[in-house]
Amino acid sequence: MRSLRTRLLLAASLTLAVFMVMVGAALDRAFESSAQQSQYERMQALVYALLGNLEPNPYGDLTLSASKLPDARLEHPQSGLEAALFSDTTALLWGSPSLSDKVPTPASEPPGEWRFVEGKMSFTLLFGLRYANEGSVPHNYTLLVAEDAAAYRQQISRYRRTLWGALAAGATVLLLFQGAVLRWSLRPLRGLVRELRAVEKGERETIDGSYPDELLPLMQGLNAMISAERTRQSRYRNALGDLAHSLKTPLAVLQGISERPAHADASANIAEQVSRMGHIVAHQLKRAATFGGRTMAEPMALRPLVEKLSAALTKVYASRETRFEIIMPADLRLRADAGDLYELFGNLMDNAAKYGKRRVRVAAVRLVASVSVNVDDDGAGFPDDAENLLERGVRADTRQEGQGLGLAAVKDIVEAYGGTLALSTNDWGGGRVSITLNA
Amino acid sequence: MRILIVEDDRLLREQLAEAFLAEGYVVETAADGENGLYMAQEYPIDLAVVDLGLPKLTGVELIKKLRKSGKKLPILILTARDAWQSKVEGLEAGADDYQTKPFNTPELLARCRALVRRSGGWASATLSSAQYALDTGAKVLQVDGNTVELTSYEYRVLEYLLTHAGKVISKSTLSEHLYSDEDERDSNVIEVFIRRLRIKLDPEGTVNPITTLRGEGYRWDLPRA
Repeated sequence: MRSLRTRLLLAASLTLAVFMVMVGAALDRAFESSAQQSQYERMQALVYALLGNLEPNPYGDLTLSASKLPDARLEHPQSGLEAALFSDTTALLWGSPSLSDKVPTPASEPPGEWRFVEGKMSFTLLFGLRYANEGSVPHNYTLLVAEDAAAYRQQISRYRRTLWGALAAGATVLLLFQGAVLRWSLRPLRGLVRELRAVEKGERETIDGSYPDELLPLMQGLNAMISAERTRQSRYRNALGDLAHSLKTPLAVLQGISERPAHADASANIAEQVSRMGHIVAHQLKRAATFGGRTMAEPMALRPLVEKLSAALTKVYASRETRFEIIMPADLRLRADAGDLYELFGNLMDNAAKYGKRRVRVAAVRLVASVSVNVDDDGAGFPDDAENLLERGVRADTRQEGQGLGLAAVKDIVEAYGGTLALSTNDWGGGRVSITLNA
Repeated sequence: MRILIVEDDRLLREQLAEAFLAEGYVVETAADGENGLYMAQEYPIDLAVVDLGLPKLTGVELIKKLRKSGKKLPILILTARDAWQSKVEGLEAGADDYQTKPFNTPELLARCRALVRRSGGWASATLSSAQYALDTGAKVLQVDGNTVELTSYEYRVLEYLLTHAGKVISKSTLSEHLYSDEDERDSNVIEVFIRRLRIKLDPEGTVNPITTLRGEGYRWDLPRA
């Protein structure tokens, strides 16, 4: 039951089987009742015809004139069609030449009543009548017609054989067709699996076959996940390499200090190197933690997040009474990891509060396919070489503490999301960090 | 000032205790969240430094419970996780400031001083009132611009009174916040410190910055600058 194909085929065959059985049963019933009806009508017609042959016999009772019987089969013994007339004392008054002794003597029927009996071997129709000879007392009579059921049964069973045979053949053809349809519909899925395996083996970069509309979101999601995973892997690799390499320098300095005889400023040097190592570790940790994938993330509402940060930072900068202004629509959303957005805005707003005097403004608007954010402070603005600090190739351990480190983290996150970052001066004369992120 | 340090790493806890002792704080320590919560509720604590990753009760839970029970003391969180999300979580729970590990001890001390000042309603590091200016960073008192030498205990008494300027501080409150449990608690000693302080602050006896309220305690009565 683990395969989609098995499930679908099983469901289809069950449905088909139930449907066919129901159709077969209904057709069978309809045919049988119509065959029975026509049998009844035929026998009734024979009874009417026999009624025309009735005539009184010399003893004042009724009898049938044997000369003009309505059905030739009545004349021949063992033809299967029999007729008989009984008096109300159930004495046999007349029997057709074909009458066998197997026909049981019936109870007398009230006049005008019909009684149809379907026996195992034969059908029997009884009709009650009342007749009075001129001048004599009227008497009740019962007319009996019986027909052998063998032909009828044969007809029914022939019909059944044909019916069920045709239904079974139809079901088989439908099932085969269903199987073929399934195979054809599931082919794109098999292709997707094949491509995924190839990606896994590194034979191809992405999944790029053409797929039906229903599978497109799945394919796009998989591709996004693959690329996010790849980016993350390379970031981990780089971070690990950077970490190891950048720790080597301070380690070398420390080793040098330990090998020298006690020196006056040894402890200051150790403290400096330890703090440098601390910064390196902090920076690389942040880089490694950046999720950067916009794959399956729910769009995050930006305003509540910025409001939380501003409430938290208002506490931290309480002694400066820093005021945070937030200008953005409440329904502005970004498809990004919550942790990344906290880092991004936390660092930007913390920097702005740290380097500004007492005002920080966070403004965000939605553009056509992106979100543009400005974070302003009322400080002295950025130094001229601030942009250089953000250039690629300036390694974490050569970056300066403070603005540099926070902004470097921001830049890493923005790049992980394929956005842009720029520094400028705002209308207060302070620094402005502008970022755009794909919405 | 009485500080509570809640930190599960023994070395770091001892290092912090030593640094705060050297700053003139009375130091209480706890190694887990439950113990920390108990101490913060039962002792007259002026400031708590709480690690976020604590055994038994996390730092965030400790802070939430403390705030729920109505305690308003300033709290600084120490965290190894410098993710903004966890900082915001700690500050939302009721902390007042944070410091990420590894940290620079002088910076931590400065942040703690600022928190204590803020809890007394002071914004700047120097508590100024009339001709008096107490620099809490350098621990120096200036009267009319001239430095006045104070002993460690005199400084602590003055800092406490000035921090809570305008409020009546009882002798028992003063001794609770200035002495550890091991110290001899004798309210006469407080009287001695107050007398000496008055002489140093106001040799001529004309300004009278510290008022004695009989049976209640002392109050710094000059307006804050």
